[in-house]
Amino acid sequence: MGSFIQLENFPKIVPYAQLFWQGLAVTVLLSVFTVAIGFCIALVMALMRLSNIRPFRFLGVDANGIPRETGALAFISKFNPVSFIATAYVEILRSTPVIVQIFIIYYGIFGVIDLPNFTMFGFIKFERFFPGVVALGMNSGAYLCEIIRSGIQSIDGGQTEAARSLGLSQVQNMRYIILPQALKNILPAIANEFVVIIKESAITYTIGVQDIMSAVNAVRGATFIIIEPLLVATAIYFCLCFPTSKVIAYFERRMSHGDKR
Amino acid sequence: MATSGSLIQVKDLKKYYNGGAIKALDGVTVDINKGDVMVIIGPSGSGKSTFLRSLNLLESPTGGSIIFDGVDITKRKYKNADGKTVKVDVDDLRQKMGMVFQHFNLFPHMTILENMVLAPTKVRGVSRADAEQKALALLDRVGLKDRAGAYPIQLSGGQKQRVAIVRALAMEPQVMLFDEPTSALDPEMVGEVLDVMKELARDGMTMVCVTHEMGFAREVGNRVLFMADGQLLEQGTPEEIFTSPKNPRLKDFLGKVL
Ligand SMILES: Nc1ncnc2c1ncn2[C@@H]1O[C@H](COP(=O)(O)OP(=O)(O)OP(=O)(O)O)[C@@H](O)[C@H]1O
Ligand SMILES: [Mg+2]
Repeated sequence: MGSFIQLENFPKIVPYAQLFWQGLAVTVLLSVFTVAIGFCIALVMALMRLSNIRPFRFLGVDANGIPRETGALAFISKFNPVSFIATAYVEILRSTPVIVQIFIIYYGIFGVIDLPNFTMFGFIKFERFFPGVVALGMNSGAYLCEIIRSGIQSIDGGQTEAARSLGLSQVQNMRYIILPQALKNILPAIANEFVVIIKESAITYTIGVQDIMSAVNAVRGATFIIIEPLLVATAIYFCLCFPTSKVIAYFERRMSHGDKR
Repeated sequence: MATSGSLIQVKDLKKYYNGGAIKALDGVTVDINKGDVMVIIGPSGSGKSTFLRSLNLLESPTGGSIIFDGVDITKRKYKNADGKTVKVDVDDLRQKMGMVFQHFNLFPHMTILENMVLAPTKVRGVSRADAEQKALALLDRVGLKDRAGAYPIQLSGGQKQRVAIVRALAMEPQVMLFDEPTSALDPEMVGEVLDVMKELARDGMTMVCVTHEMGFAREVGNRVLFMADGQLLEQGTPEEIFTSPKNPRLKDFLGKVL
């Protein structure tokens, strides 16, 4: 029985250091793009969920003009197809494993759509990286949607009333009054999502994205050592995530102080 | 006080909640004339806020009509002068009615000046320079010009409410709606806000004020409305309402607040 860690294995990894550096760059880029795409999807989904589009609204009033509160017609009159689609999206993505979603995107969607074969920065294979970003972004979008939605809902209703009473339209109210305040409040939560994505992105090695995890795999394939490269990966992930979350926590504290001014 | 022609005609206005179980407004009919300083009083839950908020459609009425500028704003469409059917533009309507809230509702992420220029520039298309000039002049009127660069959180309650009033005025509204503008203030700050409202009334602004400040109602109001249970039970001059009330509910109410 050998020991768990064999120190003499570490020098054997050194020749593969380049792979880890590149993996680190891929992981970081993957996470940045994922959060960016996820945020855009989330913003659209959150606005869809909060929209007030009711095509069957007219069914909600009876012949005397009094709103119905119960019954099938009242239910149908409250149906919002736009919100329904967004809710379905969020619930489906949050209730299924990420790996399933990634495989469906990679083998399913991008099995049909042909992506151009080229490398970015000389080591990122676009045709693997892109589906990875799309899949993770779509997944992250579902989680960020709920964060944005709660951020918007946490803004006092008086803000909207004041804005609307000044003649601002619904869109202007969102853009100038609600979103700036909501996004500021949820900035720490978005930054935390970034940390979550750094860790979750490890799964994209399964579709051949050459991130940190795939460097581990490459070393194992070439040298049959596994624990030591895994420890290197652990160290890299930790050095990425731990300081980031500490910095976020610092700003979160500072921001809440600022509000009490 | 110049009263020349009606500005808003409210007819049989109704607002029901929970399928009619709660009648927040139960058939209110009243004419608001140009230059009126109308004060609405009544016990809690009598529908005062609902009435005010219905006027600029922050609440959509269940029934009745509100004629403003010759248009029934409770309908979605109306026939214009050329006989064409056009949509009631709610945003356009709202900028003609300024509203001041109990809790000020300043935008906390903007400076006072930004609070004031936002709607004129974005809604009315006034140039930034003109809007700023106007805002500073208005702030000067309420003695807050030097706080233009401050954030709402840095102001006292009374200062916030004065800003809220001039923010609404910056849109050059035809009527100002006040919903208990002094109720959230410390007693020593009530006066400074009432003074601004008095000045506004003297300048001939049409005002509809929900307030518990009976002194203000007496001194500044030209009409007082008493509401209870969503109904308009009595109206008259301050003199009539305060010295010779007729409705027993009004007598009872005045007995409690005076
Ligand atoms: N969104 C709502 N849903 C259900 N009931 C409501 C709603 N808004 C108001 N009401 C009810 O309508 C009635 C009138 O409310 P309103 O706020 O207009 O009264 P008010 O005269 O302004 O009272 P206060 O002096 O306390 O401000 C109350 O019984 C209230 O509970
Ligand atoms: Mg009220």
